[in-house]
Amino acid sequence: EYNWRFSNLYSRGTAFGELYENLGENIEELSDGRINVQVLYSGEGVGTTGLLGAVKSGLITMGAPFQSMHAGELPAGVVEIGLPGGTADTDELYSLFHEKGWGDVLEEAYGSQGLVWLEPYIQPPVYILTKEPIESVEDFEGLKIRAPGAYGKFLRNLGASPVSMAWSEIYTSLATGVIDGSIGSNMIDHRDGNHVEVAKYMYPLPLAGAQVLPIVVNRSAWNKLPDELKEAVREATEIHAEQQLTKSQEWESEAIEEMKANGMQWSPEPSEADKEAWAEAGATLREEYAEQGKYSKQLIEILNETGY
Amino acid sequence: MFHTFLRGLCHSIDFIVMLTGKAASYLMPLLAGIVAFEVFARYVLGSPTIWAYDTSLFLFGYITALGGAYAQQKRAHINVDILYLKVSPKAKSVFNIIGFALGIFFLIIIVKVSTGKLFEALEYDYRRESEWAPPMYHFWIMMIIACGLFIAQLARDTLNDVYYLATGTPLLKQKEGTHHGD
Amino acid sequence: MGIELLTGVLLLCILIFFALGAPVGLALGGIAMAIGYTTWGEGIFNVIPTTLESTFFSFILLAIPLYIYMGQLLTKSGIGDAMFNASQLLLGRVRGSLAISVIGVCSMIGAMVGIIGAGIMTSGSIALRPMLNRGYNRRLALGVIMAGGGLGILIPPSIPMIMFAAATQNSVGRMFLGAMMPALLTIVLLITYVVVSCWLNPSRAPRDTDNNDEPAPTPKQKFLILRDGLSALLLIFVVLGSIITGIATPTESGAIGVVGAILLAILFKRFRPAMLQSAGFQTATLVSVAMWIIFGASVFSNFHLLMGVQSMVADLAASLDLPPIMIIIMFQLIMLLLGFIIDEFIIVLMCAPLFTPIAVSLGYDPIWFGVLMILNILIAVQTPPYGFALFYLKGIAPSDVGMGEIYRSVTPFIAVNLVVLILCMIFPEIVLWLPNKVMS
Ligand code: NA
Ligand code: NA
Repeated sequence: EYNWRFSNLYSRGTAFGELYENLGENIEELSDGRINVQVLYSGEGVGTTGLLGAVKSGLITMGAPFQSMHAGELPAGVVEIGLPGGTADTDELYSLFHEKGWGDVLEEAYGSQGLVWLEPYIQPPVYILTKEPIESVEDFEGLKIRAPGAYGKFLRNLGASPVSMAWSEIYTSLATGVIDGSIGSNMIDHRDGNHVEVAKYMYPLPLAGAQVLPIVVNRSAWNKLPDELKEAVREATEIHAEQQLTKSQEWESEAIEEMKANGMQWSPEPSEADKEAWAEAGATLREEYAEQGKYSKQLIEILNETGY
Repeated sequence: MFHTFLRGLCHSIDFIVMLTGKAASYLMPLLAGIVAFEVFARYVLGSPTIWAYDTSLFLFGYITALGGAYAQQKRAHINVDILYLKVSPKAKSVFNIIGFALGIFFLIIIVKVSTGKLFEALEYDYRRESEWAPPMYHFWIMMIIACGLFIAQLARDTLNDVYYLATGTPLLKQKEGTHHGD
Repeated sequence: MGIELLTGVLLLCILIFFALGAPVGLALGGIAMAIGYTTWGEGIFNVIPTTLESTFFSFILLAIPLYIYMGQLLTKSGIGDAMFNASQLLLGRVRGSLAISVIGVCSMIGAMVGIIGAGIMTSGSIALRPMLNRGYNRRLALGVIMAGGGLGILIPPSIPMIMFAAATQNSVGRMFLGAMMPALLTIVLLITYVVVSCWLNPSRAPRDTDNNDEPAPTPKQKFLILRDGLSALLLIFVVLGSIITGIATPTESGAIGVVGAILLAILFKRFRPAMLQSAGFQTATLVSVAMWIIFGASVFSNFHLLMGVQSMVADLAASLDLPPIMIIIMFQLIMLLLGFIIDEFIIVLMCAPLFTPIAVSLGYDPIWFGVLMILNILIAVQTPPYGFALFYLKGIAPSDVGMGEIYRSVTPFIAVNLVVLILCMIFPEIVLWLPNKVMS
């Protein structure tokens, strides 16, 4: 009855890819087969930076975008995913979205661009991998690190130099030393990119303790659904959020084990002073991002009120 | 009279397309300079710029998109000419008209969607996703111009072929080109 | 319309419009949008903005203009020619020696760039004219450029290999090492082919000494030739060095090469400001042509993927009920066929995750399978009617070279690639020996 195309940014056959495959199957099942979902993976018809635009225009019906890729289109998404230094507590995050009002703001923010914002899901923290061990936070001074957007700004506050670079260039650039380190969207990303072969040291403090990612649907496709099917899709995204939470933690530890087997080491445990400097580096980001549009401002205001 | 008008039209299109194509190619040394400067800034000065990455990509887009029409004027676009080289001049003109029509169709769609993206970019102030975050709208304006010129050039070439089929004589002097691979 | 029928219709349209001699990029984009409009509706036009952004904002593709610009500057200043003049001074007595030096230079260019387009167009910019000027057979010259340029994805760094490793969670380092021996084998076989074919047919590769009219160069001339030639070679080593020592990424090193070429020209008093512009102008045209093809082809394959061609390939792969080695051979055939309509990156993105787990479950080494895939792609992009490498080569070839001549000129070199593919398939040790030795 309804044919949906659902795009995500993972490769076919990867563990995360299967979670999106499950989401598609659950929608089909919960809608009694009335919605048919075709799952599209990385590189299949839509580029990573074009995903949000593709859902807006209806080329793709439903998408699982990575907001940092769309910082220039929807700045509020960068706050949504979690600014460096934000909370990693999943209960706090759940309450932030469902009780303290983030959900309403984001529904409106995505709604203003013709998108329907569904149940978000949590993915594991962002870590930074370096070629040399980081003994203290001062070691970041002068390091060239591939880190886009907010993460780049955070590292700049620590004295590092953020570098812009295509994902497929990271491996060679780490190997030769064009860059001294790189962030990955999570541990699994570092593992898949084989970065440990060319840079061994993982810094123990995460840049962001958890990342909250959205599922978005094209509004006109959404409005075509009768209420019971809308409910079915929502329910499927809720199941998906739970699966992401349990599975991603499991895969994260698997990825860490695998990388350790390939020689990954943690940099030494940071001192209290290091932790303070780290928190301080994130402090100014909230004000900076609050200025990037009214939805960002509303999100930051709520964040400051809750104290998370 | 009509003949003179057509020739004038063709010459004007040729001139504007040539001017734009050459102007775009002047950006090439600038592009190389910016990428080299980024290496210098990062490696020698120890501080990478936030603007070189996006600027070089914008220049890359400008040079290559705007160069499309002029490459058509010079018949530099690649085609599979196995059959094409073997047929009569009249058949070549028919082939051209069909091929160019498809090309014009594709380019019109690009103009249409780029216009939509331009208004969207202006309405929501779309930017690049980088820290520098330069605005995107000018890229869509450039695409509209690039495709508009490409359409004009293809239309001029189509006109030339139609004229040749109708009258049996070329509209423009031979050296000005009617066919691929001539 | 089912995806099988759709694929057939698309293929038919390609054949018709290619036969009519339509510009390739516009034809591919136009076909996709016309068929898309009839099967999908107006909504399919929205594939254009996202494809525009992903092709024009690609830092990887940015390597293409930078390396071509370097090549054009070397050519315009005469330093590129000097490199081959010097090689002739040293090896001139061997028939086909120029083609052999070209293969050597192409190997070095292959070690700088990671994509096919940059490999072929840079090699062509630098090395095609010197061969043609010396009266080399045109097909031999073009074929050598194609084969040499293709080394760009076979010699590390290689973007398709990085993509394969990421998509299948394998080691990039092992992939790079695994491709080394096949690359070396390819280079040796290419040189062997050149030597044998020139020996069988001496007129294909005239020697400088065959032409008795020209007086032998004076010692002073010899010195100048060697000086200029060696400095051009030095520039290539500097560019390579800037990659290896981590000064710049492969893309950025193209810009270092541009600056280096300008400095060399100034140093040898061969620099004219107008050169910057005329080289820039040539480069802009070549790159514009390449990018319009890449863009049209991406619109085409994005449409095809949105319609679900990947599930057709997945079903096909899953339904194969054959002995293990036959499955591997079938995979190779499927990829070769896909190469008729889809470009190199998409083949990797699509086939690597689909085929590799099956190959591994049959007991094969994933690195071996990955290297086979790269070798296969190398062939796929050279096979008619739709192969990027063919279009790149035609772009760089003299304007009176028709596509038929391009097809004929690459045939023996495709055969060389095919021999390497088959050898690696029969003797997995060619691929696995080095990575096992280094990274056991
Ligand atoms: Na390479
Ligand atoms: Na092909």
